[in-house]
Amino acid sequence: MLSKELVHEIIATVLKYGGDFAEVFVEKRYTNTFEMKNGDLENASSGNSFGVGIRGFLNTQAVYAYTNDLSRESLLNVAKRVGEALGEIKIKDLTLNLTKEEFENKHIVLLYPEDISKKKKVDIMKRAYHSAKNYSDLIKQVLVRYWEYNQKILVANSEGVFAEDNRVRTRLMISAVAEHNGVMETGFYGPGAGMGFEFFDRIDVEEAGKLAARTATKMVKADPAPAGKLPVVIANEFGGVIFHEAVGHALEATSVAKGASVFAGKLGQKVAAECVSAVDDGTIPNAWGSTNIDDEGTPTRRNLLIEKGVLKGYMIDKLGGRRMNMEPTGSARRQDYTFAPTSRMTNTFILPGDSYPEEIIANTEYGLYAKRMGGGSVNPATGEFNFAVNEGYLIENGKITKPVRGATLIGKGYEIIQKIDMVGNDIARGQGMCGSISGSIPADVGQPTIRVSEIIVGGRNK
Amino acid sequence: MTYDEFKDKIFKLAKEKGFEAQISYSKNYEFSLRLANGQMDEYKDANNSSISLKVLKDGKIGSASTSIFDNPERLLEEAITNYEIIDSNEENLFYDGSGEYLNIQSYYGEYEKLSVKEKMEKLNKMFEVASKDENIMMVPMTVYGHQTTEVSMANTLGLDKTYKGDGGYAYLSVVAKDQSPRSGFWYGLAPKPENLDIEKISEMAVKEAVSKIGSKSVKSGKYRVILRSDEFASLLSTMLIPMISAENAQKNMSPLKNKLGEKIASEVLKIKDVPYYEGSLSNASFDSEGVPTKEKTIIENGEFKTFLYNLKTAKKEGKASTGNASGRGIAPINLLVEPGEKSFDELLKELNNGIIITSLEGLHSGANPISGEFSLGAQGLKIENGEIVCGVEQITISGNFLEMMKKVEQVGNDMWISFGGTITPSVIISEIDIAGNE
Repeated sequence: MLSKELVHEIIATVLKYGGDFAEVFVEKRYTNTFEMKNGDLENASSGNSFGVGIRGFLNTQAVYAYTNDLSRESLLNVAKRVGEALGEIKIKDLTLNLTKEEFENKHIVLLYPEDISKKKKVDIMKRAYHSAKNYSDLIKQVLVRYWEYNQKILVANSEGVFAEDNRVRTRLMISAVAEHNGVMETGFYGPGAGMGFEFFDRIDVEEAGKLAARTATKMVKADPAPAGKLPVVIANEFGGVIFHEAVGHALEATSVAKGASVFAGKLGQKVAAECVSAVDDGTIPNAWGSTNIDDEGTPTRRNLLIEKGVLKGYMIDKLGGRRMNMEPTGSARRQDYTFAPTSRMTNTFILPGDSYPEEIIANTEYGLYAKRMGGGSVNPATGEFNFAVNEGYLIENGKITKPVRGATLIGKGYEIIQKIDMVGNDIARGQGMCGSISGSIPADVGQPTIRVSEIIVGGRNK
Repeated sequence: MTYDEFKDKIFKLAKEKGFEAQISYSKNYEFSLRLANGQMDEYKDANNSSISLKVLKDGKIGSASTSIFDNPERLLEEAITNYEIIDSNEENLFYDGSGEYLNIQSYYGEYEKLSVKEKMEKLNKMFEVASKDENIMMVPMTVYGHQTTEVSMANTLGLDKTYKGDGGYAYLSVVAKDQSPRSGFWYGLAPKPENLDIEKISEMAVKEAVSKIGSKSVKSGKYRVILRSDEFASLLSTMLIPMISAENAQKNMSPLKNKLGEKIASEVLKIKDVPYYEGSLSNASFDSEGVPTKEKTIIENGEFKTFLYNLKTAKKEGKASTGNASGRGIAPINLLVEPGEKSFDELLKELNNGIIITSLEGLHSGANPISGEFSLGAQGLKIENGEIVCGVEQITISGNFLEMMKKVEQVGNDMWISFGGTITPSVIISEIDIAGNE
């Protein structure tokens, strides 16, 4: 990475020209992306990147610059530009003691991606392909993608932080296309983890292929979902995307610190139904959204967000902390060195309740069962969210009946969490990519099966 | 090591090992200023460059990229190990740089001439215009920025082309007071700063938020709607662009496969791919494989005229590439929906009763270009007797994209240019499914 002397010099240069805080982020990353269509490996690409981001604060103002010209001259020039842009406060004689932070690595990697032959990775993809393709005659096309990276980071700042971390991510993504009577539908499953190649000893690759194929084959024969306000039962695992979008984003300092969140100023108040408790936990060993330290060098932690319906905490980065006059919570994240970090979610989930999922279905006379959710989005300032249901079924007289397709769920986050009226005991987490102003990052969502008493379902009118 | 040395070394080593090689070297400069409630939130000033390499032998390609320019051997080795695992029978190829290239200007250099102070003044002006409206309680984000991209492409068959382009953008989000907060967002882009009307962008964001005050949902049902130009552009980018890719058609992933020559849209729609459109930031004289770009008609009188091809998919059908290779696969340079004659206000009178859709949400998840189905969160304005009566919130619109394209009744002349180069007017759609709170 960079020497401690050079890092020190960069920080000192920023502060010599301006600002009251300076930070250096160094990132080296090795990535492999493979793509298989219909069982043939069509694209294989590997990438090496190495870059540096330099940031400075003056009170609550921030300047960010990055470069991949890593010569001393170029880095000090960038540091000078950052300092000059901040201006005003100048710290001329900086006494800085950069002490290397030592911490226990909670995310042990057994098989580093670069040590495993590419052929072995392709074999895994083939297994997923065959399992999806052979699931049904209706499956006409299977796309399998494999993605892994090894990201090494160094982060240091004028408060004395000097820390390094290593993040390994491995993911398999399967998309299946089914065709029936000229209609096409798709299914997706994309398990991943903060692990190396040993991930494939922990998951059932064939089962992953079947899950993608199941959604496509069920949906291709389905009628359109009904339109209007309905009770909705959302299955566990990736169903947690509802909390991530509807509530999670609005609890990030990114929006709270600006007052642009419906949850700003509501700590200690009841914001959700009593059966709802939720956390953001960046410490879960080898989880998709976990790291030892965040991208500002703060150790990650388990942050309680909502307890029995009461708002307990936000997710806060350094700049957000300055604006809110609160401590950072180990939540600063960024896609890579081309983005300044900001407060983001890690692994966010609703805690389990005591209902069995079967009981929740049996208690629902008529409604929608959202078995597999797709992605969604939210406007944190207004709380308005939307998500796609990738695999849905009708619930009639307490039983899951026919499959329905094309449902989207919309609402306002602060209203929906008050309408959760049953929480199951079957908690599980699923993997996704979360996009925001600091780029696209791996994040886990999760929940047990839950029921929302009413939600607008976008479907077709009779 | 300089880029030329790096390139020559790779080409020589690749040839020795029996490969053709192609390098693309990109350099990017990015500058942006962002305010949060009028305070400096982020000042960004950044340079980045990377080299990507493709090696080719027997129709198979291996790829690798790097931002570290000291080790050509390693980059080549990485690309070759990727080449070795490819087991597809598809025939890939490189382009030799022959043929006519259009002379298209995409670099003006005007933004780089502005001082930081001048850019700051523009940004502050945007903030002032937005925050002076009495209905606006917050301006969470105001951004002014510009970028320059330079890409040099060369290969061992003789291709040697350089693209340089720049452009600027401004956007902001505002929140208006109401029983529950109402948001407004607007953006604009332009190749030169003098054409980026920052005051208008701010006014539009304010208008957007204020028009939502007192919004209500509607009864579920079928409605006649205007799909406003910016939202029609988003829907076309998400749905039509993947559908017209020859690759998706060949792979059984486009509902337009086998539909060439058929009526797939309303008679009033004419859709083209154009290499140049004034004001677009996507103009280019060659595609990501170095093939010259050219104008082509995709839909005329509702009839589907052609898929878009890169080298590989064209070869498969014994055709020539249409110059539409893109980093993401195959894509138009500028997807242009030809304007009609009516202004937006005239469309509004035509609609008489219905809803103007002013916002579509969740396009990345709720619109599926393989099935053609979409179901999206939406907002809009309710129209009675040709007049806007109130805002509409908490609705979804859903349908099949191709069925919707047949229901386009009228095309306006209010052209919108999106970031990705989709250029469209507003359209009237005769019937669409809306779900609301009843």
